[in-house]
Formats: sequence, structure tokens, C-alpha cells
Amino acid sequence: MAGKNCVAIAGDTRFGVRNQTVALDSNRIFKINNRTLFGMTGLNTDILTLRESFKFQMNLYNLEEEREISPKTFAHNVAQTLYSKRFGPYFITPIIAGLEGEDYTPFLCATDLIGAMEFPKSFVVAGTGEESLMGVCETFYKENMEPDELFEVVSQCLLAAVDRDALSGWGSVVHVLTKDGITTKRLRTRKD
Amino acid sequence: MFTLGSVLDNELKSSVEDFSFETEFSTNQLMLPNIEKPFEFAQSIISLEKDLDENDNQPMFHQQKKEERKERALIKGSKGTTTLAFIYEKGTVVAVDSRATSGQYIASQSVQKVVPVNQYMLGTLAGGAADCQFFLGHLGRICNLYELRNNEKISVAAASKLLNNILYSYRNYGLSVGSMICGYDTRGPQLYYIDSDGSRLKNSLFSVGSGSPFAYGVLDAGYRWDLSKEDAIDLGRRAICAATFKDSYSGGTVKVYHIDENGWVKISDDDASELWYRYEEKEKKNK
Repeated sequence: MAGKNCVAIAGDTRFGVRNQTVALDSNRIFKINNRTLFGMTGLNTDILTLRESFKFQMNLYNLEEEREISPKTFAHNVAQTLYSKRFGPYFITPIIAGLEGEDYTPFLCATDLIGAMEFPKSFVVAGTGEESLMGVCETFYKENMEPDELFEVVSQCLLAAVDRDALSGWGSVVHVLTKDGITTKRLRTRKD
Repeated sequence: MFTLGSVLDNELKSSVEDFSFETEFSTNQLMLPNIEKPFEFAQSIISLEKDLDENDNQPMFHQQKKEERKERALIKGSKGTTTLAFIYEKGTVVAVDSRATSGQYIASQSVQKVVPVNQYMLGTLAGGAADCQFFLGHLGRICNLYELRNNEKISVAAASKLLNNILYSYRNYGLSVGSMICGYDTRGPQLYYIDSDGSRLKNSLFSVGSGSPFAYGVLDAGYRWDLSKEDAIDLGRRAICAATFKDSYSGGTVKVYHIDENGWVKISDDDASELWYRYEEKEKKNK
């Protein structure tokens, strides 16, 4: 979700196989650089593979370009990587959130599993509970929220949506990205 | 000339003629639609989660039929539950969760999965909620009639047998009932498992539902015939709590009931997640 010169990404930390919960601490939100956060949902093995793949590509970019990548460029990179597997796709839904440019304008991007990009101004959702999330975010979102308020709203949206989805929950993490850095907090969720 | 004896005889005779197991105890009021193949239609409009997963090792046309059935299904069976019951020296313990899911959407966190049949018998609900609620309520009516006619309490074995016969007559109609009849009668604490496939099983402990493997783990480890009442209740509660933690389709609140010679009593009703955190803290303290 986007706020005033800040963005927040939140996700649950459950790793399960159909109905059985296997792990409670699988992290799916990764920091690309100080300006960009990248979250994925979907098939766990693809999430792990792509994390390594993007880490590799970003290291190469830093060495060649001698600068940090901007969120918009990274989003296009993600889309290109996903489309390169058009006929044997990675089964993930990525979300990119970052602060763009000198003014630290919030940038949000979501793509589908083959790289169709979308740049909404307010919020993006993905995962098994995305329909619930969409509803709650639509209700609670307002423009130009300060980081503290953004954190509250994002947390409440996640908790509410996760309580209506059988396959999500068991722990959650919220990252808030401002020009001063990233704050990470873990929320206490239902464990059923 | 009418004597008292012959009047009573006449009444008895007429009541015996009216009374037949088919009309009294069956549920003839469940009508089938007036179409060519009501059987197939009844089966086609319900889709249960377990059907949707079993697509491996099936020939192609079977797979296609399952896909069609998924789309045509008007009744999305909400399975996903954990119920357990066990008998021990001092009575019967019944513990259930309270979540209903349709697909992965949590439809409700406050479903009553224990239906009282009468004062000393409880039935649990697993599978189709409507099916279980109706048939267990019907069982309650039958048991009441039995008591009035015969002036003695019906045994758990007889009650479960009645329900079993009714469900068997509705076999292949697409009903989904996985119920446990738990009670206390002259033979002591009794527990029967009744299925919509027609099975009726007697044992000292059962767990039914998507979370049952997880509940069995805790239940089998801690079960003994000579448990104390407190320990037995705690065992039931812990087993359901473990199942709600591991199984995504179980959750909500954990309700525990106890049945002894005085009837059934609701012991506790705790939020599943809070219970888990409480147990975690206890473990930490013990360490």
C-alpha cells in the first residue's frame, strides 16, 4: 500500500501443503535495495528460485551500472524474466513496492504470472486471500497516509483478510519503507 | 361386549399396524426431483473437496466428468473440520472445532458441530452441515418417540443402528455425513461412528474430518482407559487444538463436552488460537 512518501508491504509467513501447515517462518518479502521491496506469493520453490535469480541480476546490475536500480526498472526486469518463461511459467504473483526518484514518490507494481504489469496508485494485493484483501484494503485505504497510520492500516487489512482465508495466517510480517529506511514488525495472528 | 382387555387389545393392534419401521422411522419426506435420472442429478449437484483432489490415475473421461461436475455443482460441500470423541472409565468426552470452509474461503468460525440427540446422547457433525443437522435432529425425534412408546431410554447402539439404516437407504444420493453418536446408557459409555456410505463402527476413540490425522496423533499418545475426568477433558481439548493449528480447514473455537450417567454437559468453549498461545506459554514455563 502507498502512503505519503512511504510504502508498506505485508504478508503472512505460512508455508503449507494443501491443508497441512508445514512451516511458520517462510519469508516471502525481500529487500532489493534501500528503495525497493519485492514480495511474491505462489509456489514456494519458484519463490526461492526467483529470489536467487533476482539477487544475481541485481548484483550484476550494481557492478555494471555502478548505481542502485530504481523500482520502476526493477519491475520491468521482473516482467521480462517472467515472460521469458511464457510457455512454462513460474507460478508466482509478484508485488514490487518502492520509492522512486529524488522526491521519494511511492511506486507500486503488480504483475501476473507471465509478466503483465499494472501500476496502481493506492494498493496491490496477491495470494490465496487476495479477494478478501482487496475488499478490506478498498475500505480502509485513504490517500497521503503518514508511515505510522500506513502501518496500522496495512496490519489491520492483512489480519482481517487472513482470518477469512483458511490457507493464510500462522504469523505475519509488515515492512514500512520510508526515505529513512525500512521498519519491520511481526504481528501476532491466529494460529488456526 | 367390550371388556377393558379387548378395547386395549384393539388399540394395541391398530397402533401396531400403523407402526411400521418404514413409515415411522424413515424420512420419506425427502423428495427426489421429478426427472428422468434423479440419482445422477442428486450426485452431480454436490461437489466435495475430497472429490476435487483425486484426479490422478483416472481415465480421461472420468477426469472430464469431474471437471464438469465441479462447474455444475450447485452445492459446494463445506467440509473441513475436526471432531473427536472417546470413551473412558468415567464417561464420554466429545471435542469439536467450529470452522466451516467452502473451498478455501472461511464461511464461518462459529458453527455448532455438536447436536444433542437427547439428554444423554450427543451427535457430532462432519461433512455436509445441512445433512448432519437434519439427520441428527431426526434421530432425536425418533429416540423421543421410542422412549414414549417403550417407557425406557433408547440405547446408543440402537439409536446409531436406526440412523445407520436410514443413511444406508440414502446411499449414493450424494449425502455427506460423518457423524459420531456418543452417549452413556446401561452398558456404560458408548461411542459409534456413522457414515453416509453406510458404515457403523464401534470403538473407544474416533476422530473425524480433515484435521483428524493431526488429532489422532495427540489422542493416541495420551489415551488410557483409566484417565481422570480432568485429564480426559484436557486430552480432548489439546487434540482439537493441535488439529486446528496444523490443519488449515479447522479452527475457530474449541468446544468440549462430557457425558456421564447424569447426561451431557458442556465443559468449555475456548478460542482455538488463544488456546494455542496459552499452551505454548505453558511449555516455555515448564522448560
